[in-house]
Amino acid sequence: MVPGQSNVKRRLFRNDSDIPTAVLFIFPFLALWFIWFFLPFLQSFIRSFQNANFIALDQAKFVGLENYINILKDKAFLDALWHSVTIVIIAVPVITLLSLLIALAVNQNILGKGFFRTVYVLPYITSPIAAATVFMVLFRKDQPLAQFMTLFGFENTTWFSNVDLAMAFVIILFVWGQVGFFMIIYLAGIQDIPKELYEAATVDGANRIRQFFSITLPTLKPVTFFVVTVATIYSFQIYDQVAAISRYGVLGQPAGRTTTLITYFMQYGIRYMEIGYGSAAVVIFTLIILVITFIQKLLLGKEE
Amino acid sequence: MAQKKNIFLTILLSLFAIAFILPLLYALYTSFLKLSDINKLVPFHKWTFESYAKFWKDPNYNIPRWFFNTVIMTGITILGNVIINSMAGYALSKLNFPGKSIIFFIIVATMTIPYQIILIPVYVTMSKLGWLNTMLSLTVPYLYQCIYVFMMKQFFSSIPNELIEAARIDGLSKVGVFFRIMLPLSKPGIISMVILNFTSTWNAYLVPSTMVTQKEKFVLMVGLNSVKDQFFDRTNVIMAGVVLITLPVIILFAIFQKQYIEGVATSGLKG
Repeated sequence: MVPGQSNVKRRLFRNDSDIPTAVLFIFPFLALWFIWFFLPFLQSFIRSFQNANFIALDQAKFVGLENYINILKDKAFLDALWHSVTIVIIAVPVITLLSLLIALAVNQNILGKGFFRTVYVLPYITSPIAAATVFMVLFRKDQPLAQFMTLFGFENTTWFSNVDLAMAFVIILFVWGQVGFFMIIYLAGIQDIPKELYEAATVDGANRIRQFFSITLPTLKPVTFFVVTVATIYSFQIYDQVAAISRYGVLGQPAGRTTTLITYFMQYGIRYMEIGYGSAAVVIFTLIILVITFIQKLLLGKEE
Repeated sequence: MAQKKNIFLTILLSLFAIAFILPLLYALYTSFLKLSDINKLVPFHKWTFESYAKFWKDPNYNIPRWFFNTVIMTGITILGNVIINSMAGYALSKLNFPGKSIIFFIIVATMTIPYQIILIPVYVTMSKLGWLNTMLSLTVPYLYQCIYVFMMKQFFSSIPNELIEAARIDGLSKVGVFFRIMLPLSKPGIISMVILNFTSTWNAYLVPSTMVTQKEKFVLMVGLNSVKDQFFDRTNVIMAGVVLITLPVIILFAIFQKQYIEGVATSGLKG
């Protein structure tokens, strides 16, 4: 920059503060955040220590850890926690593997790769409720997918109202909807790998399989790590798919086989209007998510 | 040899891709069939749009009204997000003010906390304000998103400061620089944000189903979930409903695919 020019600038903008503009620009965001995030966030913690009920909120009394103790003693909560963990254990590896494989395939120099990328993203942008509607039609007794699954030894039955298969139905629906998102993440990671690495490896005589295991996979380690933690968090947050199959009665039908941490707090906090008890359930859920995030940050920090 | 392998891979990938979106193709195909033709292969000339009319005009539900509600909810939310997030992102990227790092911390911290934690208190507040079953409960708390503020901040940081200085010398005010120079320049970032915001608002179920319980006030997703079971014996009609509800998202995605994927990749990777 020319020295004279910057002098002109300095003279022109002397005492020219950004603060009024910044206040104007930040205020709408900050006000909304304060009213609609920060205050409710604090309230959730406070309510979780009260015996608050929606009908008589003014009479809510401080009950210490009672809600938390009752929740941890509740068999239905432990079931819901177990269901959430089951979803994570099954869905996360499947999502990770499928999205990596599809990303690798779509990244190859093949005909119409843009088209394939689009196709795999479509389930992700389809609303879970719309997707659930289609899958529920297909997985009813005698309908195409229910019949197709008999090839693998499954009973010809309506999956989402069958106590043994309802959870599998939810997981299939969820995985199908999420793979596209994680494929995009992997694709971005794959495209960031420097081409020179492969060129050098080719010169050294390493074949494609060797290159995959000694270049692609190790370079993608941080991406995989991100995919695994985010998929874990999303799996814990499953709600729409479960709400879709338990339209009538209590969330988590059939017979409570698809309850999750989210349906548990929705059932108590919103449907039964037990604000205190429900809030304690949300806080437990939030703590679980934060622990996962914290572990992610810790391990990523170590990585770098 | 390489050529052959690529053709093989293309075929394999095609088969898998078709299997993957078969449920969506099934929905589309079935929506054009007569009830008696379901799960059969039917030649093209026997296809019909009847199911769409039946779904749209169903006498038991006011589906056009649900569609209208969804459009209003999505429109207001996007408008708020575009204005509020870009202004905040710009301030964080290009303006100097005290407390900047605190606000940045707030954004990053909020992004890591699952939003479900605010649901019960927000429900209670909405009830006290008498906002349940109104558009206000569906839009006001969601007029901003920390992740998009973050995205816009990153975007503005890629625009050189010299542009601001030049515009200032030309006599524009600081607010003028933002609206006349920076906002038009940030169109790609804003498009990404709008597409992501559109998809998530249009598809939202948890919040709308909690805040709105009167049939007349439903948005499409809540409505669809409440009627789908009654429609299962009229598969063609409910599939037409699924197609109608999904189409706006797919059309928008088809037009702005590049921005959408970039948006997901950046907000996903950095979030």
